[in-house]
Amino acid sequence: MRYLGLAFKNLFRSPKRSLTLGVNYAIVAFVMTALLAFARGAASNVSTSLVRASAGHLTVSGQYAASGRVYGGMLRAPEVASIARRELGEGAQVLPRYLVRSAVYKGGLSKRLSFTGIDASIDRGFETQMRFSQGSWAEWAADPNGVALTEAQAAYFGIGAGDELVISLRSRFGAFNTGIARVRGVYATDNYFMRDLALAHFAFLRGLDLAPEDAATAIYAYLPRASEAGAARERLEAALAAAGFETSRPASDAEAISAVSAASIRYETDKEGRDRVMLTLSTLDEVLGLVRSVLGAVSAVGALVAAVMLLVIAASIFINLRMSVNERLREIGTMRAIGVESSAVSGLFVLEAALLALSFSLAGSALGALACLAFRLAASFPPGGSLAVFLDAGRLALEPRLGDMAAISAAIAAFAAAFAWLPARRGGRVAPVEALNSAF
Amino acid sequence: MVRVVRFSMAAALLLGAALGLGAQSPAKPGKTDPAAAELVRAFEAKLDLAGLDVTNDFTLVQKKEGEADRVLRVRVYRRDAAETFTLVFQYPDSERGKGYWRSGADLYLYLPSTREFVYRNRKDDVGSTDIRTDLFGRPDALGQFWATMAGTAKVASWECDVVRLDAKKLDVSYPVQKWYLRRGDGLPVKVENFSAGETLLRTVYYVEYKEVAKGKFIFAKLLSTDALEKGRRTLLSNEGITTARIADYKFSKAFLEEQSR
Repeated sequence: MRYLGLAFKNLFRSPKRSLTLGVNYAIVAFVMTALLAFARGAASNVSTSLVRASAGHLTVSGQYAASGRVYGGMLRAPEVASIARRELGEGAQVLPRYLVRSAVYKGGLSKRLSFTGIDASIDRGFETQMRFSQGSWAEWAADPNGVALTEAQAAYFGIGAGDELVISLRSRFGAFNTGIARVRGVYATDNYFMRDLALAHFAFLRGLDLAPEDAATAIYAYLPRASEAGAARERLEAALAAAGFETSRPASDAEAISAVSAASIRYETDKEGRDRVMLTLSTLDEVLGLVRSVLGAVSAVGALVAAVMLLVIAASIFINLRMSVNERLREIGTMRAIGVESSAVSGLFVLEAALLALSFSLAGSALGALACLAFRLAASFPPGGSLAVFLDAGRLALEPRLGDMAAISAAIAAFAAAFAWLPARRGGRVAPVEALNSAF
Repeated sequence: MVRVVRFSMAAALLLGAALGLGAQSPAKPGKTDPAAAELVRAFEAKLDLAGLDVTNDFTLVQKKEGEADRVLRVRVYRRDAAETFTLVFQYPDSERGKGYWRSGADLYLYLPSTREFVYRNRKDDVGSTDIRTDLFGRPDALGQFWATMAGTAKVASWECDVVRLDAKKLDVSYPVQKWYLRRGDGLPVKVENFSAGETLLRTVYYVEYKEVAKGKFIFAKLLSTDALEKGRRTLLSNEGITTARIADYKFSKAFLEEQSR
């Protein structure tokens, strides 16, 4: 402890050198803090947006085989939902949805849109994310044929609330079917994953797809805590298997994404020749797997850049410490003469280097965190731009965390200590008489 | 009595509500009218080229409003008796070498860029046009549809019998169809294709036929118009029709691969 006080006193013995090195540490810490803040913010933002738009903490999707063919989606959906509610507890929300991708025709124009069909009486998560410029949620909910389109979709067709659209799709069985939908709302949203979402009613889309009454595309379960998804999935798998369903987990991140986003697809031939319902249970982590990999890569690149910067600084650390030892030879000789061990002398120099690194990197991290917060508050971006997926209400989602800042500072301090060790050790080994009489 | 009336009214209301709710399900007659069946068999017999090998070149011209015409040329080798055909794209250069090969219920699309065969079902579009691959092959309407008479109509200058087809199962592209059969020779001159909800999706006009063998016909020109996307239509011309025997190897994946080399 006594050396700690001494080390603190010696931090700015050579102000210029200390400041030069310190600024380098601060810059590295600043960059790393900002990068990690971006990665964390992006992951959190994507996760939140996805959960609020098109994925549950737990998503049940799959296929069913009937009469020699395998169709996308599930049968016995009410039973699956009932089992899920029982197993996941009262705090969980279980929401069946029907997804369809179909062509829409109006006034000579056509476009393929992705429709999400929900039961408006229980599935109200979209309501708070939609800012209606025409119509309203209530009007849409009251009309079984009602659809709510984004402003971009409505602008493409040149339509508004009250207009009718022809929806035509190739149903799951192969036959074309059509329906007339009425636009009951035109909305804008900040949620990146909702920007192409055309909202319709579950029963309308199921009927359009010529699907049986107990069919659904997927069931989304929202738990009180996302961290419970893994354990919840295990309980649900067991319960569904006991009820006669075949269950599985997605084999890859891509399969998980496909499971939560796939609209009904044409049938395939059933090679097994027995009727059954095959369910895939995906957790949000699996769906986010690809996103997390990308963001992890971003962080890794950042860490690599930081490592390169630190390696450049390493030479500077080494030279600075050698100069420092050389300048303080008499001090070293005095300490050795009064009985301070060689290791303690070396340790003192290492401690000084580490403390310098720690203090400046903490300052750099703090500055980085403040810059992130300031940027988040001050800068807003257009919702439709290339940064859209990283935006939260038009602002870049940056989440600096104390833990990250502490870890970055500790890592830089350890790095500085490591590169300071060699010259410090040589300084500590100088004989007291030599230290007092000659230069190093 | 009052109770029966009330029950009937309630049932009628429920039925009306069910039918009016959102999208529709097809009406199913459940049986075939003998007169309609006879007409269908008659024209299918004329269009059934089983026993013949047919080679022909099709030119498809697709027109969309506001866009340049898209032209495709394909050569088709057909052997309906064996339920097989090979279709090879010849124009434009971007499509050259692509093709379809059908054997029974299996249809494969060959992509020369990746040299792979992609499995499709029989209802794939040819080059993303309105023309479906099930146009080439043995007709079998009564196997998939219930047929009923739907009156008469005049198409151009021809008096026609109208036969309505309703799908027995919903695995056909157009579950409801109306065929306008020319009274003189029983050949179809117009076909209206409807969705399961009976919305008109497409109309095909068989403008011209060619007799390839005694009592056997193949269409020489047809015009397909999209009912939902106004202004979109495809004109199909059938040229160079021959019935010379086709070498067996032309009905194989290897032949398709060879065409792209």
